[in-house]
Amino acid sequence: MRQGRLIATGAMLAFCLFALWQSLLLSLTDRLGPGPGFFPFWLALIGIVLAVALLITTAREPRDPSEGEIHILPHGPGALRWLAIVALLAAATVAMAVVGFRISMLVFNAALVIALGERRWWAIALFAVLGSFGVYYVFTTWLDVLLPTGWLEF
Amino acid sequence: MEALTHLLHGFAAALSLNNLLFAFAGCMLGTLIGVLPGLGPAAGTAILIPLTFSLDATGAIIMLCAIYYGAMYGGTITSVLINVPGEAASVVTCIDGHQMARQGRAGSALGIAAIGSFVGGTLATVALVAVAMPLASLALKFGPAEFFALMVAGLCLVVGLAGSNMLAALLMTVIGLLLAMIGIDPVRGAPRFTFGAEELYDGIGFVPVVMGLFGIAELLLAAEKRQTHMISAELKTWLPTRQECRQSAGAIGRGTVVGFVLGLIPGVGAIVPTFMAYVLEKRVSKTPERFGKGAIEGVATAETANNAYANAAMVPLLALGIPSSPTIAVLMGAFIINGITPGPFLFTEQPALVWTVIASFFIGNLLLLILNLPLVGLWAKLLKVPFSYMCTGILIFCIIGAYGLKQSLFDVWMMLGFGILGYLLRKLDFPIAPAILALILGPMMEKSLRTTLEISGGSFAIFLDRPLALAMLVVPVIVIGVLIFKPRSLSPLRESDVE
Repeated sequence: MRQGRLIATGAMLAFCLFALWQSLLLSLTDRLGPGPGFFPFWLALIGIVLAVALLITTAREPRDPSEGEIHILPHGPGALRWLAIVALLAAATVAMAVVGFRISMLVFNAALVIALGERRWWAIALFAVLGSFGVYYVFTTWLDVLLPTGWLEF
Repeated sequence: MEALTHLLHGFAAALSLNNLLFAFAGCMLGTLIGVLPGLGPAAGTAILIPLTFSLDATGAIIMLCAIYYGAMYGGTITSVLINVPGEAASVVTCIDGHQMARQGRAGSALGIAAIGSFVGGTLATVALVAVAMPLASLALKFGPAEFFALMVAGLCLVVGLAGSNMLAALLMTVIGLLLAMIGIDPVRGAPRFTFGAEELYDGIGFVPVVMGLFGIAELLLAAEKRQTHMISAELKTWLPTRQECRQSAGAIGRGTVVGFVLGLIPGVGAIVPTFMAYVLEKRVSKTPERFGKGAIEGVATAETANNAYANAAMVPLLALGIPSSPTIAVLMGAFIINGITPGPFLFTEQPALVWTVIASFFIGNLLLLILNLPLVGLWAKLLKVPFSYMCTGILIFCIIGAYGLKQSLFDVWMMLGFGILGYLLRKLDFPIAPAILALILGPMMEKSLRTTLEISGGSFAIFLDRPLALAMLVVPVIVIGVLIFKPRSLSPLRESDVE
């Protein structure tokens, strides 16, 4: 936990340093007053001070004896479910640009419920169809929400 | 009197068939969201935003507000029946609510929770009607300096409640504000931090960020644990007895006052009023030993405070444009998506909309009472839906929500990225709420500060000439300083108080 917090705070410090550098590329003031870089510059500076203070505070904290039991990254059987959600969501986003919402969600729904433990084929099929073609119909026809059709225009 | 006339007009509009349907649908969906353990009101409201894309602004806001307070009530059901709070604010309800269920009094617990929620929500809305317009009139006298100071004060109050995590909360606020800087500069129109990506010209989308940090992160956390939802208590009756109602009357009154007063203060999460109302009730009770063993006053006061808070939290949003919690920030995002900027001008520029929405709060509270008493059994059955279907269904809504607003798959990627980030931040105990509030307030804060400095020719001394702005800047900074360096004995509220 302590190590994880140190890494995360370090990443935030790097983000603030990057923001400071980028804000210096913009004008901080102009003839009308503060420029586009003014607010982000001061924010990044405050962020750097806070991140350094948090790094020092966290580094000086005494080690918690139960720290070893806390897993920051997913672990055990839950890690597979976690990975399935992230990987399938990423794959569906890529697929939507190519084959559109309906086909990509049909596969996504079926694959994810299987990955999360469902085994009844008829339930999987019904859910996949309703969650893709059914949802597409409801949102595009009744709620006027545009959904991706992909290169295939489907 | 003027407020009453506006309110009557608001009722006339809110009682139209369409708006009634939106309030009804919002209450149903909100309760459903509240029932699902782990999915809080902020994530639920964000996930359901796409349902309102095709509605007019009034209908969309009515529905989202109904989802919000429906979710606040929905969490009660799981707290009582299976000892799992549907959302954080229902944690206190578990203490006596589940004990009552184990004694065969689940119906009484849920009934008094519904009655308390109705009374608390309705009285808080009456107070909102009385307070909101004078507050908005006062805020109309504010210049950009006061608005900047007000937003700083709001953010400081949110940070101030982070307890021992104050530095992390401050850092998260700055990160949220920096993320809000991405896109076209609101004053000069120059692109900032976009790196040539056209998708970033409009800034980081609020909806994908909220869906990621709340919705996706919640699902990833839930997927890691094995979900088993078992109903352990059966429902025999829906209503509390007359004696139980008498016992709870005082608790409902006190819960309303605590919930309303704390709801007015930005940053006080929903859990604080419920804890404080419970502690107060235990202290004033002649038989405090019954608390924790199924005291109906414990359920009544916690649920009343919860709903009074939910309605009171709309006051700073509607009158000042300050979101006081992540869920209210999501609602503010929904207002902005619909072309409405919450704040003092709302009452003068769009009185019809704002009073219709306020009138819909009364209607929504009544709908919740009517719906929830007989439908408790149905909501309880939803807990039997397997996690695989619930998770996939929620993800479908997240994808549509992230994509639908700008028809951009880039936003879906952003949602996924922020989902993983939210998962890690939650595991590392970094508070997310300050970043969300900062993300939505960032552009307005920057604009106010830069306008102030343009007026003063770049001099910060202008704040010395504006005593109200100075006070709003100095007081929260002192409070945060005191909280950072305070002795541990000053901790205002501990979980042990309710044990």
